[in-house]
Amino acid sequence: MPVLDDLDLDVPAGGYVALAGASGAGKTTLLALLGGLERVQSGSLSVGEYDVAALTGDDLAAYRRLTVGFVFQHFGLLDALTAVENVELAAVLAGERPSQRRERARALLDAVGMTPRASHRPGALSGGERQRVAIARALVNRPRLVLADEPTGNLDEDTSVEVLRLLESLQTERGCTLLVVTHDRALARRAEHVVTLDHGRTR
Amino acid sequence: MSWTDAVRLAARSVLRRPGRAALTVVAVALAAALFTAMLTMAETARSRVLDQLSKGGPLAGIQVAAAAADPSQVDSDNPRPGAALPIDEAALRRIEVLPGVSTVLPVVTGESIVVWDDQAATPPSGTPSSGAPPDRIVDTMVGVNLARASQLPITVLSGRLPAPSSLTEVAVTPAFLARFGIGRKQLATAIGKEVELGAPRGFRDPDGSQRLRGRWVRAQVVGVVAQQAGSGGILASLQQAQAAHTWTAGGDLSADPDATTTPYSGLFVIAKGLDGVAKVRAEITGVGYSTSAPENLIATVQRYVQVVEIVLGGIGVIALAIAALGIANALLAAVRERRREIGVLKAVGARDRDVLRTFLIEAGVMGALGGLIGSILGLAVARAVAAVVDGYLTSQGLAGVQVGMPYRLGLAAVAGSVLLALLAGALPARRAARLPAREAVEL
Repeated sequence: MPVLDDLDLDVPAGGYVALAGASGAGKTTLLALLGGLERVQSGSLSVGEYDVAALTGDDLAAYRRLTVGFVFQHFGLLDALTAVENVELAAVLAGERPSQRRERARALLDAVGMTPRASHRPGALSGGERQRVAIARALVNRPRLVLADEPTGNLDEDTSVEVLRLLESLQTERGCTLLVVTHDRALARRAEHVVTLDHGRTR
Repeated sequence: MSWTDAVRLAARSVLRRPGRAALTVVAVALAAALFTAMLTMAETARSRVLDQLSKGGPLAGIQVAAAAADPSQVDSDNPRPGAALPIDEAALRRIEVLPGVSTVLPVVTGESIVVWDDQAATPPSGTPSSGAPPDRIVDTMVGVNLARASQLPITVLSGRLPAPSSLTEVAVTPAFLARFGIGRKQLATAIGKEVELGAPRGFRDPDGSQRLRGRWVRAQVVGVVAQQAGSGGILASLQQAQAAHTWTAGGDLSADPDATTTPYSGLFVIAKGLDGVAKVRAEITGVGYSTSAPENLIATVQRYVQVVEIVLGGIGVIALAIAALGIANALLAAVRERRREIGVLKAVGARDRDVLRTFLIEAGVMGALGGLIGSILGLAVARAVAAVVDGYLTSQGLAGVQVGMPYRLGLAAVAGSVLLALLAGALPARRAARLPAREAVEL
């Protein structure tokens, strides 16, 4: 059964787009397609100069590593690693030198206000703190596209606004494209463009 | 991802579930310990049995008798010797240059009249019914190059060997001591005692009657040995035996029928390897001398011991295989639990091979740790068992047993554990590597 059908979406570089819609509308699937987590079965999908639909194997991994930064609802931090190590992880996979990546990870933790908690493991952090670390990790390889899947889904109202503001300020500061999936209409309205999905189609 | 980073990540993942990791490592350690202990004990038993067969000498040792060879018996381990055939320096040199011969060690024997230092205190066996100890016994002194005793079938049971060129030190055998009523459990009591040794020389008086005169020396017993270098109860330096032999051979041989004139009563020849023994024996037979060597017996025993080693090693390998299944189970559980984590790894850019490598390293780390701990444990167990066996053998007056440090075996256990762990981890690692990246966003 097609999840997304007849979808035509053009996101400008450096833009801030909110993907809204009810549960099952296909928001997360679209995000997974854009991030190279899911393969396109038919149609075309381009991000910058990349024909994502044509990428496979190591090329697809390299695309995910260098072009995209993910922020998950469940944070997606590795319990075995400290906050700074989690941020470093994407740079580790990019084969960056230890001193360089450690320095950048610390700078990013500083940017998200997590320096004092750098050596803590995720289990010792609050939800908001975990998401800040996740945001820092998403930015460590200087991606051109940041995809956030319900980034405030597990946070209380105040923390949600705080995290979203952080994400928006970093997007403005770094000039990357930000695509946020949310079913919260109020949060969606903060974006420059809101795309609402309904049963796999834009409305 | 570099190997260093992969190792670090794998180590962190292992430590994240310390209980499960510890249990898996313990299972591997126990299996590796079983493997190491069994093979160490089998190897020790093997060397002990072969040592016993070769009487402490090299396995490729050949006894050459001062007797003519019987060509019909060259295939026998212990052929019946033919007529007396002296071994002189020329014969020794001829044998030395035969192809396949590594070393030739001469043996000199001669009869000796023995007076025990304190025989009054320890009456010899066969004491006359009156209870009075005999004033002397007759035994044979065996002289060898003691500087090369390690190449001869000599095992020290107590004390030490005489100094290589000593004229005043001897070692004696348990059979010799038994004649003075000293049992196997009291061998050490003989150390330090003095004996008087008289080499007999035959004379014939003008009236035709026979008479023997002795060349007497005092010697100290410095050790008790089991030896097969020559037939006799007294082991001495080559110089000491040659001096006695020269004295005896210089007499009237018609007055001393037991005296021999052969410069060497035998030779101990070492072939270049056990496989060369038969060839060297044939060559020496060609020179004319009778030889004996336990080659057939050793070959048979080696085959049996090898079977035992294979069986014990097989049990160890089965144990390791079971432990490997434990690793596979632990990793499969980890893959099930960490689906999302693997998805996240892929979402942030990990390639399939990065994930594969991380899981294989996890398996390898557990295998290596278990193998290392198990090897050390296995060697400790083998040593403890050997200590008990050694204590028993020594208390029985037999040569003890020593366990070396078979590093090769320890390394094999570690390498085997790692290899089996990697094999066991291959399926879970492959499964993890093939998980789709979308697991990161699955609820």
